[in-house]
Amino acid sequence: MVPEFLTIAEAGALIGKRELSPVELVESRLARIEQIDGKLNSFIRLLGDQALAAARSAEAEIMAGHYRGPMHRIPIGLKDIYETRGVPTTGHSKVLLDQVPQRDATSVRRLAEAGAIVMGKLATHEFAFGGPSFDLPWPPARNPWDTSRFTGGSSSGTGAAVAAGLVLGGTGSDTGGSIRGPAAFCGLAGLKPSYGRISRAGILPLAFSLDHAGPMTWTAEDCAIMLQAMAGYDAADPASANRPVPDYRAALSSDVKGLKIGLVRQFYETDNPANEPTQRGVAGAVKVLEELGCSVRELRLSPLADWAACGIIIMLSEGYAIHEATLREKFVDYGEAFRDRMALATLITGGDYVQALRRRRELAAELAAAMADLDLVMTAAAPSEAPPIDAVGKFAIFERPSLTMPFNVCGTPAMSVCCGYTEESLPLAFQLAGRPFDEATVLKAAHAYERATPWRSIRPRFV
Amino acid sequence: MSRQEVEAALARAGLDVPEREKPEIAAAAHFIEEMAARLRTDRKMGAEPAHVFPPPPEA
Repeated sequence: MVPEFLTIAEAGALIGKRELSPVELVESRLARIEQIDGKLNSFIRLLGDQALAAARSAEAEIMAGHYRGPMHRIPIGLKDIYETRGVPTTGHSKVLLDQVPQRDATSVRRLAEAGAIVMGKLATHEFAFGGPSFDLPWPPARNPWDTSRFTGGSSSGTGAAVAAGLVLGGTGSDTGGSIRGPAAFCGLAGLKPSYGRISRAGILPLAFSLDHAGPMTWTAEDCAIMLQAMAGYDAADPASANRPVPDYRAALSSDVKGLKIGLVRQFYETDNPANEPTQRGVAGAVKVLEELGCSVRELRLSPLADWAACGIIIMLSEGYAIHEATLREKFVDYGEAFRDRMALATLITGGDYVQALRRRRELAAELAAAMADLDLVMTAAAPSEAPPIDAVGKFAIFERPSLTMPFNVCGTPAMSVCCGYTEESLPLAFQLAGRPFDEATVLKAAHAYERATPWRSIRPRFV
Repeated sequence: MSRQEVEAALARAGLDVPEREKPEIAAAAHFIEEMAARLRTDRKMGAEPAHVFPPPPEA
């Protein structure tokens, strides 16, 4: 009997000891998807036969003694903005309903080379921007902790599928918080790496200068494993960083004692006030990190609204440029949330866009200076637990400044880490952000925190 | 920004927005105005944007 829930690290260990076969693992996930996903809508395209064939092939490789690494034989899902050769990649939109790419995204190819088994394509907010929407070809994903709740967006299907144990990991993308938001609401570890760390080639863009690809998993250790497979220079992405990729999993074992953390309390106490359970969760996480030997001191930054304004003006301007021609041709083929949000970009002038870029340089310099004597920055990941899905308005993303956007504006690595649950068993989360290209320290601190707390042993229950 | 100004911007952009959605977009226009105003601070004329085009390396 295959356990209901497994992490990537646990599954890898069992398969390595030949106590679990890749075929059994994939069959068990397919059965779970069949049993549960009707309530979650996390998959928009299941690739069951392809996954089973890959599992049989992996089994043969194992019998022949070939081991590709810790992602070998691991069932994952891909947000449906990651292009897949021969398999439709739609952005969850009617606009690209029939698009069948001729190539895999670079990160998909790298995951395949690492031996990961793709189970299917996962729901997303339309083009990683418009949602939750009920007027698209597929319904929006639902939160496994309470299916009346929002998953967060835009990597909504990945959040739901990983939390529910339908896959062991999945890909997300993050332009203003689209990995960390669903990770927070669904209780995952979600890492937005540094800008340039993972290739964007072959991933449908939302905003070229803010888009980040990254892993979403149950634990920080799994994020490290998945990041290892996805990261690295790619000439096909003009923003790709030609820098060495460290051994992220090995870095997890080093001590967190002495790490210096700046706590940006102002973001979630005054700029976008978080509710009481969230504030309690973050305060508890600070205490745990201090007990582990980290020193935490308060850090003040420019108002959160400045970071959000900068990011949103850039995101709308770049996104509109991408979709301009199609919006003119077939406006109503897009869902209402996408098209009406994007229509606001027609009110942005060229001057507004360049002022946002000038502010971006100032804010990035401010964060870099603030981090000169810090290893990490910490703040809340979301102002509350997941709200009801039908309470999320069309223009909600503009109503309160995003807690996640600052690290898109600066391109620094940032991660959502679960820090407990509400009385209704809904996850709470904080963020850790690091210096550029120092994902290893972010992952190390998150891993140490997870090991010191009970939260990773609590999973959603289905009746 | 008035509803007429918003509708003029949508029309200039060539977007065929359903009538029902126009007032909703107009009602949200203040978000853009507020964000754009926030980005206009007292900065020096030579303050560079974040994106500058790097010259390609020598062949």
